[in-house]
Amino acid sequence: MANLKDIKRQIASVKGTQKTTRAMKLVSSAKLKRAEEVAKRSKVYAQKLTELLTEIAQKMQESSSDNGIDNIFMRENKNPKKVDIVFVTSDKGLCGGFNHQTIKRASSLIEEFKSSDIEVRLSGVGKKGVSFFKYNKVEMINQIDDLSSKPDYERSTELIDSLVADYVAGETDKIILIHNGYVSMIAQRVSEQQLLPVDVSKLKLTNSVHMDSEIEVEPDDDDTLLDALVKRYVEYSMYYALLDSLAAEHSARMQAMDAATNNAGDMVKKLSVKYNKARQEAITTELIEIISGMESLK
Amino acid sequence: MELMKLEIITPNGVIFDDEVKQVTLPGSEGEFGVLSGHATLITILDAGVLVIDSKKGKELQVAINGGYVKVEEKKTLCMVDGAVCLSGDDTNLAKALADAKELLEKSQSRSTTIAAAISKVEQINKR
Repeated sequence: MANLKDIKRQIASVKGTQKTTRAMKLVSSAKLKRAEEVAKRSKVYAQKLTELLTEIAQKMQESSSDNGIDNIFMRENKNPKKVDIVFVTSDKGLCGGFNHQTIKRASSLIEEFKSSDIEVRLSGVGKKGVSFFKYNKVEMINQIDDLSSKPDYERSTELIDSLVADYVAGETDKIILIHNGYVSMIAQRVSEQQLLPVDVSKLKLTNSVHMDSEIEVEPDDDDTLLDALVKRYVEYSMYYALLDSLAAEHSARMQAMDAATNNAGDMVKKLSVKYNKARQEAITTELIEIISGMESLK
Repeated sequence: MELMKLEIITPNGVIFDDEVKQVTLPGSEGEFGVLSGHATLITILDAGVLVIDSKKGKELQVAINGGYVKVEEKKTLCMVDGAVCLSGDDTNLAKALADAKELLEKSQSRSTTIAAAISKVEQINKR
């Protein structure tokens, strides 16, 4: 028979845990609201930037004679030899499968590239992902902590600029960004984005529908503007990934903590039933003892 | 006077979205004014002060630290890295001016551009 005292202690402990998880859930939902707001506001900028880039790319495509756009940032390398992968994970745990999803995607991508003889360089943002790859002895050229919990434009730019510089110098042929993005309060989705070369097909070039007038560009040299714009686009995509990831992290943590609180509730219920049964059993035993004692006196 | 739409967007969100009479922008090739019906144009903006002639006839100044602008006939879209609006009452204005100066000083444009922009901001202060 389970000891009454033991069960009581267990119930108290589970209740304590429940209190913690409930508090964490509340904290996360408050933080989520803020992070979501920031991500939402930034989305407008990201969208307009993409629009602008699309228009310039379209203009260049129209003016170029035949084979699309000839710009270092837009040219797809048919035989990439070296690829940069950047992943964004959280700094803190207790958020369910949030980081694991990103890590899984990154690992499978690395395998994929390796099997087709492409060299991979890995850059990691966020303690969780970094420590995973470190433990598995995968080399990383950048390990950045404390950025995913506090997105900072300058630091994210610093990271991505160093990779872009390598790309421009011809050391790498591709930059891919993986992060777990925010979909809704209860859903996150891992997204994989090719930062460079800019995926022209994704820009949805229309065949000059609304272009009734020729676009003027200053400075006249298309490349200057395009280069600057692409750089901005890449930097901003990186920053946006951080914001998006932070919002997703909070929503994942909220979910995980909600589940934990519910589970703790279930456990308390189960333990209470067990406790009551044990108590009744003890009383019954005592009664039997008394009754049989009286019987023997007769 | 015909109005056109002006949107100013920063990474932190939309800060201006309204109809205006005219806007003067600090382009990388020189300052230029935009009225309704301007030819389509895309260009880089330098750090500087953006002057808006609002539909009510009031003049608004916004300090920016560079970005891009897309001008269409009926719509002008400014995408800037950072912006500080230089209007409002006296107490707010002093703070806004200080913010604007800080913003300009931190921008990556040429030092002459920044100096010019800062002197412009200071002129507003004296008015």
